[in-house]
Amino acid sequence: MSRRSLLFAASAFGLMTLQTPAQADVAPDALVEPVAEYKLYVLDNLDQFVSHTEKFTQAVEHGHLQRAQALYAPTRVYYERIEPIAELFADLDASIDAREDDYENGVEDPDFTGFHRLEYGLFKERTTQGFTSYAKRLMTDVNDLESRVQGLTFPPAKVVGGAAALMEEVAATKVSGEEDRYSHTDLWDFQGNVDGSQKIFELFKPLVAEEDPAFVQRVEKNFAAVEATLAHYRREADNPEAGFVSYEKVSQADRRAFVGPVTVLAEDLSTLRGKLGL
Amino acid sequence: MPLSSPPSSRLLKLGVLASAVLMLATLGLFALSLNGRDHGDDDVRLVVTAQGCEPQELSVPAGETRFNIVNDSQRAIEWEILDGVMVLEERENITPGLHQPLTATLAPGDYAMTCGLLSNPHGTLHVTANGDAPAVALSRQAFIAPLAEYKVYLVLQSRHLVDAAETLHQAIAAGELDAARIAYREARLIDQRLAMAIGLYSDLDERLNARADYFAKREQDPQFVGFHRLAHGLFETGSTDGLTPIATQLLEDTRTLGERLRHQAIPPDQLANGSARVLMAWYAHARDDKTLNAHELLDLQGLAAGAEKIVTLLTPLLERQAPNTLEALQAKLARLQQRLAETASSVPGTQASRDIDRDALLTETQVLADILASLDHTLALHG
Repeated sequence: MSRRSLLFAASAFGLMTLQTPAQADVAPDALVEPVAEYKLYVLDNLDQFVSHTEKFTQAVEHGHLQRAQALYAPTRVYYERIEPIAELFADLDASIDAREDDYENGVEDPDFTGFHRLEYGLFKERTTQGFTSYAKRLMTDVNDLESRVQGLTFPPAKVVGGAAALMEEVAATKVSGEEDRYSHTDLWDFQGNVDGSQKIFELFKPLVAEEDPAFVQRVEKNFAAVEATLAHYRREADNPEAGFVSYEKVSQADRRAFVGPVTVLAEDLSTLRGKLGL
Repeated sequence: MPLSSPPSSRLLKLGVLASAVLMLATLGLFALSLNGRDHGDDDVRLVVTAQGCEPQELSVPAGETRFNIVNDSQRAIEWEILDGVMVLEERENITPGLHQPLTATLAPGDYAMTCGLLSNPHGTLHVTANGDAPAVALSRQAFIAPLAEYKVYLVLQSRHLVDAAETLHQAIAAGELDAARIAYREARLIDQRLAMAIGLYSDLDERLNARADYFAKREQDPQFVGFHRLAHGLFETGSTDGLTPIATQLLEDTRTLGERLRHQAIPPDQLANGSARVLMAWYAHARDDKTLNAHELLDLQGLAAGAEKIVTLLTPLLERQAPNTLEALQAKLARLQQRLAETASSVPGTQASRDIDRDALLTETQVLADILASLDHTLALHG
């Protein structure tokens, strides 16, 4: 072996050992564009979230009970889509989206605010009386969230991990119907979580498709299964804007039918980080 | 004993017993291995009760730590490590009575831990500096987040630039000189924030940003278009006459820029280097002028804002690799921006002002560019 080829072999070996761990066949540079596109997606949804929250909180403040009830679910959808990023801000996630179970004194707890505090008023007590301060607080928090997310450099591992996190959340705490226990608008939230998870998967799919076509096929099949079950409960088949029927009308069999594909999706998608070398 | 005799029932019993023992032993080993995995010697155990974390305060060395979170409360909980209000790591939905592992890589500092109910007090997590640990070399992965964020910045700024160019075009087409002058400044400021990225495209850079000096017939040259051509008309000639086709072309070019930037990969070594280059280009030009006019100050303001974004993006990397360089960089940038802010409020219109400390601005720009130019070496990005 010549001196030159020895050197070449040595440096090739050096390069190999310097490679990042895991199945990092994906060059780190290739992750830049999907992470950037994801932030643009989140910013677009935040923009919508802010304007929908304006209308929702205005309805509460003006005492329009029916209108506020109708706007509750369509407003939350945007938060549910971008939850992997939104929940990075622990204080706002608590004040915007915490459930009564998160507080020692439940609905009586003075710190219990946000969507679910308003849900309790609108759907359980059936009134907007006395909820103006909660509406104002929600609007302030949502505006605060928007400006913080704008300034946030997205951590790539959280972005990719978000695909699985969203599905885990559906499986763990949404299928039971505990999220929207008074409004029974859980299917809207499901759809938001599925949308958000699917978006992340679509953005990173080109980077794993060649390496692992079976994985991509399986994930797409399970997303399709979840979508099909959801479609069954749309109010209007051709109009996604019309939303979903009450979760109370979802049969036990269909609730169980969600669990299978959602759990498999959560497991499959949790391997995405490793596949991308994160 | 004859060889052909069947095994005695006593032997059979022994055999059954032996295999049962073996099975139990295997099960035991299996259980032990499970146990070992869950309670490794290095695991940091933390119990969440109905009241909060036990212990309430933890101390771990910097680097990778495996936590073992035990839910000793009556409800499902999530456990999080917080840096301020930011969630660094979390384990969601831990069932009552069970435990879950969580592996986190932490830098030295004090963090908070959420401990079950939101109404429970936060715990404290001290991460102590690990003197023996060697400084970790930056991997290419460390640049994914800053490059992605820079891309988002470029896309959003280029959208603003298109909007501003539209306003400028409308004002010029309508012959409104004052409105056109205001719109020009707005658009030019954004253009200069993007100067480094626009510099990646020689055709667009020439059409948007080339100065009259670079054309054979200077101001009269038909190839002379873009911002400097509009500035010449709006501020020197003092008229919108004949500028509409130039403004139309500029609007079209900003749209092309936006489309290209969306799919442009910016090499990591361009972040700091490119910012240094555009600052030095401004410096080289300003050095040859006797006075600084309002246009040059506006340009520098845009360039400094573009550099500020880069500094913000590189800050987490420099904090680890070169804290002293980072401190110098931030100080110089802040100094320059402060002087620009003071100057901007004292310069009326387009007239050069004698109050401007031209030499100080030049020196500060040069110093900032020099530090930026040295960063690739600091970040081991040279070559």
